[in-house]
Amino acid sequence: MMDRLSVHLQSLFKHLIVFACVIALWEGAAAVGLVDVILLPPPHAIAGSIWDLYVENRTIYRHFTITFYEAFAGFLIGGAFGLALAVGSSLNDSFRRYVSPYAIVLNVTPGLALTPIVIAWFGFGYSSKIALGAIVCFFPIFVNTLIALSRTDGDTLEMFQSMGASKGQVFWKLRVPAALPMIFAGFKIAITTALVGAVVAEFSQATAGIGVLMQRLSFALDMSGAIAALLSMSLLGLILFTIIEIIDDRVVFWRRGSRMEAVSRRRLARWKTSAGSSSGKPIGRK
Amino acid sequence: MKHFLITSAISALVAVGPVAAQELTTINAVMPKQRSANYFPLIVGEALGYFEEEGLEVNLLPSDTPIPFVNFLRNGQADVAMLDPAEVLQALAAGVELNVIYEVMQTAPDGIAVSGNSDLTDVEQLRGQIVGLVSDRDRVTMQIALDARGMTEDDVTTVVVGEAGPTLAAAFRDQTVAAIAGSGPDWLAIQANGIPVSLITPAEVSNKPGNTFAVASGTLEEKGDLIEGYLRAWSKGMYVATIAPEVVARMAQDAVPEEWEDANFGQQYLNNAIRLNVSVTETLGGLNTGTWESIQPAMQKFGLITDMIAADKFLAPSPVEAANNFDRDEIAQEVQAWKDANM
Amino acid sequence: MNEIADLTIPAPKRSALNIIARHLAIFLALISAWEISCRLEWLDPLFFPYPSSILEGFWRLYITQGNIWSHLGLTMFAVIVGFTAGSVLGVGLAICVGMSDRLRRYLKPYVIVLEATPRIAIGPVIIAAFGFGWTSKTAIVMLVCFFAPFVNTLNGMISVDRDKVEMFRSMGASRIQTFSKLLLPSALPEISAGLRLAMASALGGALVAEFIASNAGLGVLITQYTGTLNMASAFVCVLTLSALGYFIFRGMEAVDRFIIFWADRDRIEAVGRKRLAAWHSRLGDRP
Repeated sequence: MMDRLSVHLQSLFKHLIVFACVIALWEGAAAVGLVDVILLPPPHAIAGSIWDLYVENRTIYRHFTITFYEAFAGFLIGGAFGLALAVGSSLNDSFRRYVSPYAIVLNVTPGLALTPIVIAWFGFGYSSKIALGAIVCFFPIFVNTLIALSRTDGDTLEMFQSMGASKGQVFWKLRVPAALPMIFAGFKIAITTALVGAVVAEFSQATAGIGVLMQRLSFALDMSGAIAALLSMSLLGLILFTIIEIIDDRVVFWRRGSRMEAVSRRRLARWKTSAGSSSGKPIGRK
Repeated sequence: MKHFLITSAISALVAVGPVAAQELTTINAVMPKQRSANYFPLIVGEALGYFEEEGLEVNLLPSDTPIPFVNFLRNGQADVAMLDPAEVLQALAAGVELNVIYEVMQTAPDGIAVSGNSDLTDVEQLRGQIVGLVSDRDRVTMQIALDARGMTEDDVTTVVVGEAGPTLAAAFRDQTVAAIAGSGPDWLAIQANGIPVSLITPAEVSNKPGNTFAVASGTLEEKGDLIEGYLRAWSKGMYVATIAPEVVARMAQDAVPEEWEDANFGQQYLNNAIRLNVSVTETLGGLNTGTWESIQPAMQKFGLITDMIAADKFLAPSPVEAANNFDRDEIAQEVQAWKDANM
Repeated sequence: MNEIADLTIPAPKRSALNIIARHLAIFLALISAWEISCRLEWLDPLFFPYPSSILEGFWRLYITQGNIWSHLGLTMFAVIVGFTAGSVLGVGLAICVGMSDRLRRYLKPYVIVLEATPRIAIGPVIIAAFGFGWTSKTAIVMLVCFFAPFVNTLNGMISVDRDKVEMFRSMGASRIQTFSKLLLPSALPEISAGLRLAMASALGGALVAEFIASNAGLGVLITQYTGTLNMASAFVCVLTLSALGYFIFRGMEAVDRFIIFWADRDRIEAVGRKRLAAWHSRLGDRP
């Protein structure tokens, strides 16, 4: 265990050294004049702006929360639609056949093209940003869920059917659990896409949010501030992604050995008590 | 007498000859709207051939971009840019080396507007209401207006409405905002979409310089003559509005017919443009050091700039003098000639 | 993206016409519902244009006014040139980096960070530096199309079976032979997937460039039309973009099938036959 830790630390250390070199090069280039400092400020200026935004002015927290809310809400709405349509399509072949062309058209249309139209429709306020987020994140969830639900292992399906499982049981006990990993992969893609959608809408027209902050700063030629805002956007994306990862870890518990054992133990205990109350004798392994 | 006439005719021909055969140099300019009655000196100058006389052809860069115009001065694509004072000061603070050489509008075009059907007559009454902004940059206009009545941004709710005319008009029509902070072109857009507009702009907002012409520091040395010629042609165009506004109207109708689809609004728009563009000072486009220094504390207060900059560091008044060096009577004659020929 | 083919179930041949007819019927039903809602003012005609006016818009933009063609051409030009340059650069650089294990490991975090940065944020910096013009626009599309091929090519080259590499080495293959006969073909599926991803985002990248430095192109048209609330024409442009996106997608599928010929039985046989003939002619005998 210590060996593994030290290996990790070593590689982290190496990465840090490389990062430090890159920063040093950048600073050097800026000082010498190789880099246009007005368009691309040196790292220390960016660090200064980060300090300003997060510690001194503390303006960024409000914008951060607003964009977070827009992206997450868009993800939930787009996800709900995507899941619903995918589930419907997987259960009913005709439904799938008729929904697919529209889903494909929605996918190949670049979300950016829809921005002016969405803003004209929803007007000012949060709704247009949430709407654009929902529209762009619909497809990854839809397609991943549909594919996942359709790819069932033939043998397992036969086994279920030979045991006399109903359609509902097949769906909930076989298809859904098998599909969950891929569905969550779709969620991960979708939430980052929803963030991009919300930010793009903010660039077009918005009162507050990280996109607005970034535009405001770059318009005032405060490029180091703008880059700091951009990095905050990446941070926001990382946070959103991690949230889904955590949920993924809890729901798709069989992926990690330790989690699987914990859940199995709990379920065994529950099964024992319910079985014990009916027949008095514990069934299953000791 | 006959002798004199013949020689003068010949010399006139000889004078015209080289000018006509001369290659025109292109001068690249970027301004918030490409050809528009809002910047009529360009239209007038082109109609009467003033730019040509200076050996210039004006090339306008696309203006509908969120990228600050200063960048095009820096990368060399634009020789001259029209910037507002905030943009100038922010660019200077960021380390851009530029010179302000001419004041296009000595009155700021920004203002606060309410629907023509509204009861509101003064900014004071906006307390607790929703104020719309055409874009985030108009936030300062609102802040200055509120400040003039002792209020702050927290006394109202702000929303960014967007730049599209129909959306702005809808905001008034559906009463979603009580007032909108913006500028001239926005009022025209709202009126063009059927909602009358009246202005409740406090003096504090308009009594400051509006747009100016700026060049990168090196340009004056390299292309000084070009710049002076450009400004001179511009000033002549401005002067025409003082003596014959109806001619300007006609030229605008020919050059930008899309702004005159409703003749009434077109005329109102032009009247407003003339009011803003024609210089208050005796010298057309004259730079006023005092004003530039006095607006900076307010900008600092509203967070537009962090440090103040001495005006003489960036104001370069030399081209303005050359720009005003033209014969007023000659202009009057040429305008009359154009009028006789075209109206 | 490969999964889209799975979305549409292949229909039993005999009722193919039936299926199409039913698709058409549903489409027409939706359109009629839309049209009626507009006329009854359930949907605000200001924001939801009548389908009939969209149709009219198609006629106007494509034929009467014909103004959409030049914008279409400009957008496509930026897409194609940017895609070609960006993916060539991406694949080329990845091949160089792929040869060195160490370089790849240290480069990885930076590539990921750069990839995660939304292009719409970098666009203005490029244009501010290089000015208006098709070079900046193409540069933005290049940037967008660089990452997917780069990352995928790298992945493809790394995930080659170590045993096979050993085998090649033991047979005395030179670096170039190992590369062209083993690494490249094994990486081809990943490379092709990367190219498809790049192509998918190329159109979006061109639009970003147009929204920022609007001189001409479909993105510009959309902004202008929405600005004057001419929603019908705006829809026409958006649908044009959808059609473009669809053709690009199908085109890339065809290219994919061509390059990764071993995924498809007919193709494998055809190529196999051709190569056998070439081999025979080289050996100087004919069966």
